[in-house]
Amino acid sequence: MDFLYARSWDEALAAKAERPDAVPISGGTDLMVDLNFDRRRPDALLDLNGVEEFTRWERVNGHVRIGAAVPFTRIINEIGSLVPGLAIASRTVGSPQIRNRGTLGGNLATASPAGDALPPLMVADATVEVGSVRGERTVPVREFFTGPKRSVLEPDELIRAVLVPVADGPQQFAKVGTRNAMVISVCSFALALHPARRTVAGCIGSAGPTVLPTPDAEQYLEAELADRRLWDSRAELDEAVATRFGELAGAHARPIDDVRGTADYRRHAVAVLARRTLQWTWTEYRRAQR
Amino acid sequence: MTATTAIGAGLNRIEAAAKVTGAARYAGEIPLDGHAYGSVVQSTIARGQVTMIDADAVLARPGVLAVLTHDNAPRLHRADDTDAELLVLQDDRVRYRGQAVALVIAETLEQARAGAELLDVTYQPEDHDVVFAADHPRLYAPEHVNPNYPTDTSVGDVDAALASAAIVVDATYSTPAEHNNPMEPHAAIAQWDGDRLTVYDSNQGATSVRQALTTLFGLADGAVRVLSEHVGGGFGAKGSTRPHAVLAAMGARFTERPIRVTLTRQQMFAMVGYRTPTIQHMRLGADADATLVALEHTAYSQTSQVLEFAEQTALISRLMYAAPNLRTRHRVVALDVPTPRWMRAPGEAPGSFALESAMDELATACGVDPIELRVRNEPSVEPDSGLPFSSRNLIACLHEGAERFGWASRDPRPGVRRDGRWLIGTGVASSTYPARSAPSTAAATALADGSFVVEITASDIGTGARTALTQIAADELRAPTERVEVRIGDSDFGQAMIAGGSMGTASWSWAIAKACRELLHTLHEIGTVPPEGVTAHADTAEDIKAQAQLSRHAFGAQFAEVRVDVDTGEVRVPRLCGVFAAGRIINAKTGRSQLIGGMTMGIGMALLEEGVMDPQFGDYVNHDLASYHVPVNGDVHDIDVSWIDEHDDRLNPVGVKGIGEIGIVGTAAALANAVWHATGHRHRHLPIRPDRVLTSLA
Amino acid sequence: MRLTFDVNGVGQQADDVWPGESLLYVLRERMGLPGTKNACEQGECGSCSVYLDGTLVCACLVAAPQAQGRAVRTVEGLATDSAGGLDHIQQAFVETGAVQCGFCTPGLIMATDDLLANTPTPSDAEIREALAGNLCRCTGYEKILDAVRLAASRRTEVTP
Repeated sequence: MDFLYARSWDEALAAKAERPDAVPISGGTDLMVDLNFDRRRPDALLDLNGVEEFTRWERVNGHVRIGAAVPFTRIINEIGSLVPGLAIASRTVGSPQIRNRGTLGGNLATASPAGDALPPLMVADATVEVGSVRGERTVPVREFFTGPKRSVLEPDELIRAVLVPVADGPQQFAKVGTRNAMVISVCSFALALHPARRTVAGCIGSAGPTVLPTPDAEQYLEAELADRRLWDSRAELDEAVATRFGELAGAHARPIDDVRGTADYRRHAVAVLARRTLQWTWTEYRRAQR
Repeated sequence: MTATTAIGAGLNRIEAAAKVTGAARYAGEIPLDGHAYGSVVQSTIARGQVTMIDADAVLARPGVLAVLTHDNAPRLHRADDTDAELLVLQDDRVRYRGQAVALVIAETLEQARAGAELLDVTYQPEDHDVVFAADHPRLYAPEHVNPNYPTDTSVGDVDAALASAAIVVDATYSTPAEHNNPMEPHAAIAQWDGDRLTVYDSNQGATSVRQALTTLFGLADGAVRVLSEHVGGGFGAKGSTRPHAVLAAMGARFTERPIRVTLTRQQMFAMVGYRTPTIQHMRLGADADATLVALEHTAYSQTSQVLEFAEQTALISRLMYAAPNLRTRHRVVALDVPTPRWMRAPGEAPGSFALESAMDELATACGVDPIELRVRNEPSVEPDSGLPFSSRNLIACLHEGAERFGWASRDPRPGVRRDGRWLIGTGVASSTYPARSAPSTAAATALADGSFVVEITASDIGTGARTALTQIAADELRAPTERVEVRIGDSDFGQAMIAGGSMGTASWSWAIAKACRELLHTLHEIGTVPPEGVTAHADTAEDIKAQAQLSRHAFGAQFAEVRVDVDTGEVRVPRLCGVFAAGRIINAKTGRSQLIGGMTMGIGMALLEEGVMDPQFGDYVNHDLASYHVPVNGDVHDIDVSWIDEHDDRLNPVGVKGIGEIGIVGTAAALANAVWHATGHRHRHLPIRPDRVLTSLA
Repeated sequence: MRLTFDVNGVGQQADDVWPGESLLYVLRERMGLPGTKNACEQGECGSCSVYLDGTLVCACLVAAPQAQGRAVRTVEGLATDSAGGLDHIQQAFVETGAVQCGFCTPGLIMATDDLLANTPTPSDAEIREALAGNLCRCTGYEKILDAVRLAASRRTEVTP
């Protein structure tokens, strides 16, 4: 096994172009488990810890541009108020030790439906900056995943940064687990309200082959909010609307039975989480008026 | 006469400083000159034959020294009592998935693990049978159940009594496979010097490991020395020799170098034992006034094709309640699965879930308070045997616990307390565990400088044994604890009981007390300590044989409060309360932690822990700590542990009953009963997972 | 490959490191520092918690070459400044009875050190959160929480 160090974005791209088989490593929270368990022995690792720009974040035109290797701990501490949904999800990642190392780049590249950061990135309409020596491109997170643990990333491409719009409304994230810490979620749900656009966005984690958007639920809720003029009145939301939103969101889940829970349970739990996150975000939206 | 002063005090753990600085060396951390590493290759089929192992490619790899297989491994000797799990690499049969089929030995651990991963093993698989069921056609009655209790017992006529009982509870409970998961994975490093073998090993009893290795390698008595100064937990999984120690010794013999074998966390799920799944059929009959007329407990469990381990699941029903008609039965089926072994309170832990849940169901059926039901059915002698109890303070524990927990104000109706999305309930269950002692030897030495050294092959797996034994020895010697050094974990100190069955302190303290008393007697006679010191030896074999026949048990009462999320089915445990009557508590600090730890493992048993068998591959699929969930600190909130002052002079000289296991007995039932009280739904299958709760609420 | 890094304030070198080795492996098998424990190798148990350039990490999840040129601090290097051989956190673990089998202890002590460095007077909720990634199978955690509370109270006394 070769170990390749990169000191800059260009160096990293050059290394990846020369050795497309090199597996990028940053926080190591997923990859090292595979190595420790002898699940795989790649021919080369490409260390991204030396690329300083990966660990920076900056505000750009109403967005936060988060370097691929900014650890979750820093997202929580430094930009939590700008990207609240992502920060809430980041707080539920593993443990302090894992949050100190785990990154958005890792969550995206691993493309596991259980990646806690992915649902909030989806609902915030984040985009991913990827690049190779052939050039750079941006991919909306909504188009990034092609299947379980698969993404649009080409073998010679690396993730550079994630561009997350600064929250324009309340955002929430919730997950169900069997114990009170250190859980891979049984399922999770992220919700963002976009009052300026009068839209909402929901996304399911851990209950399908990839993270899953919930268009039927969104359309229903947007219509209800519009029909009842709730964006303007900021009146209380009917319990029935929240429940229906949850049911429609749950219908988008494509779960399986496994040791963490049955498929039926996951579908139900998604509905509960969708309802709850809607109630929390709507309460916050109403409060923001005063 | 100096009053005892050390016993009962909260003396700090003696080896704690070594542990908090990282200086304490566990078995896998002992550096021996020139040692190499062995990595275990496990079978990937559940049943069949190894037809070929092509080691050439692995042997050609850098650093690889040897590949041990059934073709070339040293031949082992067996005696009548040899644990068949230890006969590793002796034939080509695969009896369960995860069985050791080879050991790759290399200069570095990394080279050994890489080689193990690459080793080419060809199998002839056969159809396997790994699915445990109460109607399995191959169920049978074992000759006895662990360790040597009768398989079936019967008093009176249960069927007739049930037929005429005013109230009957007839229910089936089940518990899944649970994995001990001590934090320290099993490790051993073995070194040969001619026909002498030294092994640093992670175990609960060095003399039992010495005995097994002596037999397996056909050695002379005294040729094997086993050392285990620090052991990172066991909970039964290190209760006897495990295959890693044999493999290390084989590898060392083969390569003529010290060899270290450390299991990975995943390997532990197949190689070191686990708690068998159980299915338990309970039939309870009572008069209208809630007096038991009949109790029947039929328990089913699994064992492996390698050896019979018959869990004593129904044992608890033989002593808890005064049923004039009482029947218990055990049935076992041998499957193509890893061998189940002891896990904290084998028998009582799963057995109490069934019995104490059934008692709760009976209380409801009779319309009496669950504590009152237990009071009304308190026996005067052990119901099954008729033996008197040496002491029995269950009722005192129930009453004390009720007081501490605030049971009196409880509304018995289920499913009526709600706080937002949470349903709230409380539950109670009884606990018990045998208080036995086993023969042990010890030596006590007075040194000329006025200090003392006590040597005994005890094992401190985290219990606090070293500290408790120091307190006991100090009081016996009428010396301050600072002047008494207790040395443990070395088989050269002579035969002693393992740290198991909650018998460690009872057994070891007996031998230590005897040796110390003998030493004081000698010192009294000779007046002054000679320069070379003076030693007294003790062996308790005859004393224990001479014990009166009595029913000796610790008892306890456990109370639980739960909050159940009506939307997601998540169960939270805001508080537990345990009150125990366990004889004399030697060290309040370590003792309290042992009991809290047991109850916490009970939370795991009730809500989290479940080895899931994959019928297709014959494997426990969730074989790591990411998917087999043990409690984290957030799962545990207020645990109130106390004990009643119990003096029982018919146990052993120090009056201890043992506290390592009783903490987990009854916890799961108390929690399940609380979930019933919260929701109105009875969970008879563990763990009480969110999806199961939700299904019941739907 | 050759690895050069700083361990507990001392420059160290390891040769013939396989690049896929973990930092945990290097510490335990090459540096002779087994105080950092190996209990799961997947970041679930926290037994291998160390500081990497001052950040608390699971050493099992750091590829050894990632430690090149960096500073690692382990439980063995925690109390080097104190006269009695134990720092106030270690002392608190001893006194409260937070240690049983001891295999989770070094990781918990590192996590506590990190917590109190950033949050000198933590609430119970903050303690539970900070120690969420450290499994203990013996104690039921109650005495560990007591130890952290005691260490925090003493730290506050020392540094007002």
